Formats: sequence, structure tokens, C-alpha cells
Amino acid sequence: MRGPASLQGRLSLWLTLGAVLLWAVAAAWTAVHLRHEMDEVFDSALEEAAQRLLPLAVRDIIAREKDDSPDQGVATLREHDEYFTYVVRDAEGQVLLRSHRADLGVFPPFSGMGFADTATHRVYSDAALRGTITISVAEPLAHRWDVAREALIGLALPLTLIVPASLFGVWAAVRAAMAPIRRFRAGIEARGGGDLSPIPAEGLPSELQPNARAVNLLLDRLRRALEAERSFTANSAHELRTPVAGALAQVQRLIVEAPDEDTRSRARQVEAALQRLARLSEKLMQLARAEGGRLQAEAPVDLAPILRMLVADMGRGDGHRIELTLPDAGVRASIDPDAFAILARNLIENALHHDAQDAPVQVSLSPKGVLRVVNTGPVVPADVLGRLARPFERGPTDAHGSGLGLAIVAAIAAGTGGRLDLISPATGRADGFEARFSMSRAEMR
Amino acid sequence: MRILLVEDDTILGAAVRDHITAEGHSADWVGRLDRAGEHLDAAPYDLILLDLMLPDGRGIPFLRALRRRGDVTPVIILTALDQISDRIEGLNAGADDYLTKPFDLAELSARLAAVARRYSGNPNPLVGLGELQVDLAARTVIRDGRRVDLTAREWALFEAFVQRPGQVISKTQLEDRLYAFGSEVESNAIEVHVSRLRKKLGAGAVETVRGVGYRLGDRR
Repeated sequence: MRGPASLQGRLSLWLTLGAVLLWAVAAAWTAVHLRHEMDEVFDSALEEAAQRLLPLAVRDIIAREKDDSPDQGVATLREHDEYFTYVVRDAEGQVLLRSHRADLGVFPPFSGMGFADTATHRVYSDAALRGTITISVAEPLAHRWDVAREALIGLALPLTLIVPASLFGVWAAVRAAMAPIRRFRAGIEARGGGDLSPIPAEGLPSELQPNARAVNLLLDRLRRALEAERSFTANSAHELRTPVAGALAQVQRLIVEAPDEDTRSRARQVEAALQRLARLSEKLMQLARAEGGRLQAEAPVDLAPILRMLVADMGRGDGHRIELTLPDAGVRASIDPDAFAILARNLIENALHHDAQDAPVQVSLSPKGVLRVVNTGPVVPADVLGRLARPFERGPTDAHGSGLGLAIVAAIAAGTGGRLDLISPATGRADGFEARFSMSRAEMR
Repeated sequence: MRILLVEDDTILGAAVRDHITAEGHSADWVGRLDRAGEHLDAAPYDLILLDLMLPDGRGIPFLRALRRRGDVTPVIILTALDQISDRIEGLNAGADDYLTKPFDLAELSARLAAVARRYSGNPNPLVGLGELQVDLAARTVIRDGRRVDLTAREWALFEAFVQRPGQVISKTQLEDRLYAFGSEVESNAIEVHVSRLRKKLGAGAVETVRGVGYRLGDRR
């Protein structure tokens, strides 16, 4: 049998079982002790009865011998239930006197003074006139058992009330004691994935305080590590971008100012190389960020304006090839806005790059947090689709990209618990390519 | 336009300054925010190109302070911070546009022109002036179906008039626009450029308002 999984269940079960067991042991001990005391009381009553009856019987018999009357019975006032029955016998075992209900079968032959047990009765025997007259008083054992049973029932009866009452009491007490633990757990559960602030541990039992401290220390370390990583990525971005920007701008000046075509064409090659370097370093930093964590925002943000700004920005360089569809209401999610922007930018860039006819790229965000980016183009074979999200993997295309865009998107999708589906042909079309990012349920709040 | 360039990287700063000067704008280049503040107090600028990470502070608080003072000079941020949250912060602080490094000088020109057009009240780059068709984005003037070649200085001067149709612009304002601090300005430089413009675009292209300055010719 499997016990309950929760601490509360286990404590309730074992404490109740313990209380019941203790009560049962106490009741049993009391019953045994009571039985012993009862036996003493009953025995002494039996002995007392015999010793009171015997002189009376003796006098009665002596008187009878003088009168020589043959009456053997004792006149009884009225019929009644007898617990005790007795017989008075002479030395030969002849019955001289007996109580009116005495069953001669239950009395064993006189074998000496004192107590004797038969199968059904407890018998006390005594003798007078040097053993010529004996008396035996019998009490049915069933009577004693009845009394003992009643006492036992009296002791056991509370048990039927105590078991449910103690089960409830223990459960309630344990539950009350567990309340701070439940609050602590709720505190952990309530926060989004990006919230790394300490969890309040007030009122937590002292046994669990070290655990709470450890959790909060861990959260703090995690937060600092993620912040350090983030600022490192941001700083390296700055440190790397500025010299590249300077070199690119200078070489572009050079192209304008160069005196001859030969120099210009060389400068153009340097420009192209610098632009490739800039793109690649940007993608590598994005990938580092995507794989590094801190992909969840502390609080949910509306993604619609971010997407709008991104599309406005990207649309400027590339004509107006992006068709954006946004829901009327905002789409709030706890994905980090920068991570979402990197993801969306890569999907849109990818679509713009690989669009066959320079047709508009469709970008849409559903209220449930599904981002779809669709472009036209030949159907991408299924085996290629499966490999596309790996770093430096490219589809069958002449377009030159870094080969990292979809890997970055996949890393962000994995890091936020979202889902990336690459579909070709696009949904509802015979051709084209569709990238679909579905945010995890936990992200949508 | 007279542009204040705030950029601490000397290689990038020099290239950007040369580029905007070659396009006919006047550029003052500083590498620190305190110097930028001094320049803004000393001269009117048509536009500020602002880097965000400077040796004596960050550009965003500087921009906020500028806007709090009521300064409406257009600002384009030039920065290596490429995250969308940085961009939102920059635009919310009062920037007009945001360009991340590394950028193409051609893109910088396009954004400068776009911001300038928005400030002139007409975002449409195509302006028709009688027999002249002006494309502010492509920096071309077509006269009677033929393209007129203007030098960078001449274009900068003409653009100033086109962006403020009907307004009279003083000679000093034009000199500020065309020449950076410390550059040698010959006393009759503006008159020389205006007369060349009239020669290329027609005598009525620029009117002289005696004692005050110049304005776009009334060609209706």
C-alpha cells in the first residue's frame, strides 16, 4: 500500500494511527486490570455468601433432625433470578439443602475448602461440623464475562468517536502548521519565469528557514549571473560595434573621395567585408544572448508596439515589403521584449532574404501569442526544414545570410518554452515558407 | 543644416563629420556631453546626432534634460546599443530617430533628411516650385525637365529656403547653417552662393529682403 504523498497526509495518517493505537493499548490494559479486580470482588462475594449461608444451613439441619421433619427445601419468598446458587451436602454427598434454582449438575463433588473452577462455573466450597456438612456456592462464569464485556465496550466506545475526531483534529492542526510552507510554495509558483526577486519567508518553520534562505540565495546568484552576462553581452556589443562602425564609415568616405576607380573598387571590397563582419558579430551576439538565458521579462509586456516599431524600422531599409497584422487588443506576454524583438527580427529578415519574387512578407501576431511570418518562394523539402534551425545551416538558396538567424530563433523559442514550427508550403498555400512561433501558455498572462 | 555631432570615437566621428560636411551641412563635433551643452548654449542647431555612451555620462539623461528645458531641436541617436528596449527608452526620452552602429553613411543621410522634412512640416520629399521640381530625399532639382547640378553648399543653402517657404532667413542664420565653429567664413560667402543659385535656378529663385535676409522666391 502506498502512503499519502504529502507531508500533511503522512502526518495526519501517522499521528491518527498512533493516537488510536495508544488508546487501544490503554483500553486493553485497563480491561485486563479491571477483570482482575472484578474477579477479586466476585470471589470475595462468593466466599462471603458461603460463609454466611453455612451457619444458617447447619442450624437449620440440626433443627430439622430434632423435628425429624422431611422438608429439604428452603421456603423461598418468590421466584427470582439467581446469580449465585448453592447446595449443602452431608459427608456422603447427599444433598441436604439447595437454592431453588440450583442445578446439581454444575456442582462437582466436594473436594476440599476453597475455590474451584468448572467449565461453566466458579465454585466456592466450605465445610462445617468437621466436614460432615459442606456447602458449595456456584456463580456462572458467563455472568463475569458479561460484566467484563460491558466494561470493555464502555472503554472501546469512545474509540469510534475519537478516531474520526482525532483524524480531523490532527489534519486541521497539521494544516495550520503547514500554512507558511504553503504560502512559500505559492510565492514560488506565482512568479513568472523572469522574476528572480527573493521569495518572502516570514513565518516559515525554523526547520525550513535554511531551505528558504538557500532558495533565495540561489535566486540572487542567478539574478546576478544573468545580469552580469547581460551587461557583458551589451558591453561587448558596444565595444565591437563602435570600431566596426568607425571603419565602415571611413571606408565609405574613402569610396567617395578615392581619386581612381581601382582604389574605389578595393575600398568597396573592404566595405563588403566589414559589413559581413558587422552582420556576423551581431548574429553571434544575438545567439550568445539567446542561449544565455534571461529571456523572460519580470512583468508581462505588450508585444504589439514592439513588433510595430520593429517593422517600421525594417521596412524603411527594404521598401514597404512587410505587411503587418496585429490584433486590436494588446498581446501581453512575459517574454523579454529584447528577446522577442531579436526573434521577430530574425524571422522577418529571413523571410525578406529568401523571398523569391520580392513579394510582401506577411507578419502577424495572434491574440494567443502566435507569431507567423510568411514569404513566397519554392517549397522547401521536409528534410531541409528539419535542419534549418541548426547554426550555419542554409536552405537551397543563393541569398547570403549568416546562417544563424533560425538558430537564434530556435534558441529563444527553447529558452522561453515556446515552439518554433517551420512549415513549407505555407498554411493555405501551394508554395512559400512559413515560420511560426507559439509562445508557451505560461508566457501568456 | 547646422548639425551638432556628439560622438567620442574619433575614427567614427571624423568620418561622420566629413560625410555631413560633404553633403553641405555644417557640423560641430564634440566628444563629451558638457561640451555639447556649451555648444547648444552658444549657437542654434538644426539637428543633434547623439551617441549614448560618452566618457562623461549617458546620452539619455542628457536628452531628457534637453527636452525638459523645452529644447525642441531634432535629435537622432547614434548608438551601439541595439536592443529594442534601448530604442524605446531613447524614443521615449525625446529622440526623433535611432540609428544603431554600424550604419551606412547613406542611411544616415536619409534619416537626417527625413527628420528635417518632418520638422519643416512637410514629410513629402517632392516639392514643386513653379518650373522647379525639388526632391529633398534624392537632393535633386529639375528645371524645365533637366537636372540642375548644385554643389553641396549651394544645395544646403537652397534646402534651407525650401524647408522654410515664405520665411525670411538672415545672413547670420545662413552662415550658422553652412559653417561650423572655427571655420573661415568669407564676408561675402552667402552673397556668392545666392548669386550662383540664381544663375542655376533662375533669377527669381531666391529673393533678397533688403536689410533682413533672403527668402524663397515667389514664383506663383
